[in-house]
Amino acid sequence: MTQLMQEQCTKAVGNADEINELLRRYGVKFGIYKNGVFNEQFFPFDPIPRVISAEDFKSIEKGLVQRVNALNEFLFDIYHEKKIVRDGIIPEDFIYISKGYLAQCEGITPKNKVYSHISGIDLVQAKDGEWYILEDNLRIPSGASYPLIARELTRIAAPQAFRENDIVDNRNYAKLLKETMENANCGGIRAILTPGRYNAAYFEHSYLAEHTGSVLVQNDELFVEDNILYHRTYSGGKTRIGVLYRRIADEYLDPLNFLPESLIGIPNLMEVYRSGNVGIINAPGNGVADDKGIYYFVPKMIKYYLDEEPILHNAPTYLPFYEDDMKYVLDNLEKLVIKDVAEAGGYGVVFGNDLTKEKLEEFRRTIIAEPRRFIAQEVIDFLDLPILDNGETVMRKADLRAFVLTGEITKVWASGLTRFSRNPDSFVVNSSQGGGFKDTWVLSR
Amino acid sequence: MGTISLEHSDRLYWLGRYTERVFTTLKTLQKLYDRTIDNRSGYAEYLGYFGLSDSYGSNRDFFRSFLYDSKNPNSVAYSLERAYDNGIVLREEISTETLSFLQLAKDTLAKSEMSENTRLSLLPLVDQLYAFWGCIADNVYDEEKKNIIYCGKTVERLDLYMRTGYPYKSVKKEFGRLCKRLKNVPENTPFCCNSQYFGEIEDIVGSAEKYSSESSTALVDLEHLFEPMGAAV
Repeated sequence: MTQLMQEQCTKAVGNADEINELLRRYGVKFGIYKNGVFNEQFFPFDPIPRVISAEDFKSIEKGLVQRVNALNEFLFDIYHEKKIVRDGIIPEDFIYISKGYLAQCEGITPKNKVYSHISGIDLVQAKDGEWYILEDNLRIPSGASYPLIARELTRIAAPQAFRENDIVDNRNYAKLLKETMENANCGGIRAILTPGRYNAAYFEHSYLAEHTGSVLVQNDELFVEDNILYHRTYSGGKTRIGVLYRRIADEYLDPLNFLPESLIGIPNLMEVYRSGNVGIINAPGNGVADDKGIYYFVPKMIKYYLDEEPILHNAPTYLPFYEDDMKYVLDNLEKLVIKDVAEAGGYGVVFGNDLTKEKLEEFRRTIIAEPRRFIAQEVIDFLDLPILDNGETVMRKADLRAFVLTGEITKVWASGLTRFSRNPDSFVVNSSQGGGFKDTWVLSR
Repeated sequence: MGTISLEHSDRLYWLGRYTERVFTTLKTLQKLYDRTIDNRSGYAEYLGYFGLSDSYGSNRDFFRSFLYDSKNPNSVAYSLERAYDNGIVLREEISTETLSFLQLAKDTLAKSEMSENTRLSLLPLVDQLYAFWGCIADNVYDEEKKNIIYCGKTVERLDLYMRTGYPYKSVKKEFGRLCKRLKNVPENTPFCCNSQYFGEIEDIVGSAEKYSSESSTALVDLEHLFEPMGAAV
C-alpha cells in the first residue's frame, strides 16, 4: 500500500471520537481478570485502518487456504494413521508431548473431515513488504466480531471513507460462519457454547450468536440423552443440537473424558461427537496442530500433504530440540525472541535483548534442561502502523489475525483483526496486555 | 430459534421487570419532584410506600439517593444496572440495537448526576426507554419470548402502581393488560399463573370498593402469582 493511499484513508475516516462513542454504545467490550477481579473494558479502537491491496490479499488468501488445508490434513492424519510421523517428517516427541494432543480423539473423523473450521492465523508484515506467519490458532480463535462491528459503525460515522476507496465489504462474516456451522451440522439447531458472562470474549459469543441466528447456551442448559445432545427448554422439553460452536477449551468440554473437575462442561459430549451425532467447532484435539513447536513443521506439512511449496513463510524459527538449532539459539540468544510453547495470549514471550547477562545465562540453562519447551525466532522488524494517540498520529507495532473458515471449501474472510501495541517500546499486541484494534480494509482493486 | 432455556426465560422476565421499574420509578420521582418545587409535599410519603424510614436530611439527598445511588435497591441507578445485567446476556434474543438503548440510558443517568437541572437532564432517559421498548417490539420476532418480557413489564408496573397509590382506573387497566399477556403463556412453563392467587387479584381489582380496602392483599397475591399450584398458602 502506498503512503498516499494510507494518508487518504486516514483522512477519510476522520473523527475517532464519534466511532469510539458508537462502539461504546453498542457495548464492544472485553473482559479482563486482574488480581482475581473481573473488569469489563471497552476495547480501544483506532480508526485508521490497516489497508491491504487487492494484489497482496490475493497472495495472502492463497497462502492461508493452502496452510489451513494442510493443517486439516495433518489433524486427520495424526488422529488416524500418523503417516507424517512414520515417514519421519515430524518426530513423534512433538506429537505426544504436546499438551494439545488428546488420545481421546484417536480415530474420530468429524463430519466432512474438517477439524479446523475457524482458523485464526496471525501474520506480520516486514518492512520489505513480505508477510510472515507468526502463529496458527486452531482451537478457539477469537476477535472476528470486533472488526465486524467496527466496520458497521465506521460506515455510519465516516461514509466518505467508503465512497472514496474501493473496499471489500467484510460484513459477510456471519454468513460465512453460518455456512461453516451448517457444513458441520449433524442434524439439529446451531448453538454457541459460552462459559458465561464473565468470560473475556463474552461480547463476541453473544454478538456472533445474534448474527448467525444461533442459540447462545451455557453447559447447564445442555444434556446428553441416548447419545444425542439436547438443549433443555423452560417448558421441560428438549431441542436437538446439531452443531456446537464451543467457546471453551478442550480440557473443560466433557468432565467424563477430560478434566473431571470441570464445572463448565457437558458429561458424555465426546461420546455424542464420536458417534457423529453432533458437530463440534473447532474439533477437540486441534491443539496438537497449533502448538508452537509444531508451527516449525507446517511448511513441511504443506509439502508432505499437498505436494506444494508454501506460499506464506514462517518467521525464521529454531527448535532447540535439534542439536544445530540448539547451538544457534545458545550463541544468539540476545538477538532472538524465545517463546514458551505452553503459553498463549502474549505470555511466555521473552526478547533476548531485554535480558541482563545473568538472566541470559539462566535462560540458557533452562533451554538446555528443557529443549522441547521453547522455540526461538528471529525478531522480525515488522512494519509499524499509524495510530491516533491523543489526536496525534504515532507509529506502533501491529499484527494481523486473519480468519480462515473451512466448510465445503476453505475461504479467507476479506478482513481481519489488526491488533496493535499501545506501548511504543513493545511488540506485544494482545488485548489482554493492553493492546488495541483496528479494522482491516482489503481493497477490491 | 424457538428454544428457550429456563435461565433465559428468567432473564427475559427480569429484563422486563427492571426496565419497567426504572421507567415507573423515574416517572413517579419526576411527579414528586414537581410537587416539592412549591412545597406541596415532601418525600416521606414515598418512603412509606416501601416501608422505609427517613434517613435523608433533605429533598436533595432523597432525590440523589433514589436516582443515582447504585447501592440503594430502590433507586433508578440500581434498577438500570440490573436491567443491563439481564439484557447483556440476552443480546442474541433482543439484538445489539435494543441493548444499546440500555447503555445509552446508563450514560444519560451518569451524565445527569453532574447536571444542575436534574429533571431536564433526565428527559432523554425517558426517550431512550421508549426506544428500548420500540426495539423490543420490532426486533424480537419470537412472540413467546416477547410475551415473557411483557409479562415482567406488566407485573412490575402493576406492583408499583398498587404500591405507590396510583388511581384505581390505572391499576384496573394494567391488570387487564396482564390478563391478556397471561393468556398467551404456554402450558408447563414457569409463567403459567397460580390460579388461586390470580383469582384473588381478579376479585379485588374487579371492584373499586374492594380495591380501596384490600389493595395490600392484591399486592401480596401478585408476588406469588407464578408460584406453582399447591404452593399457595
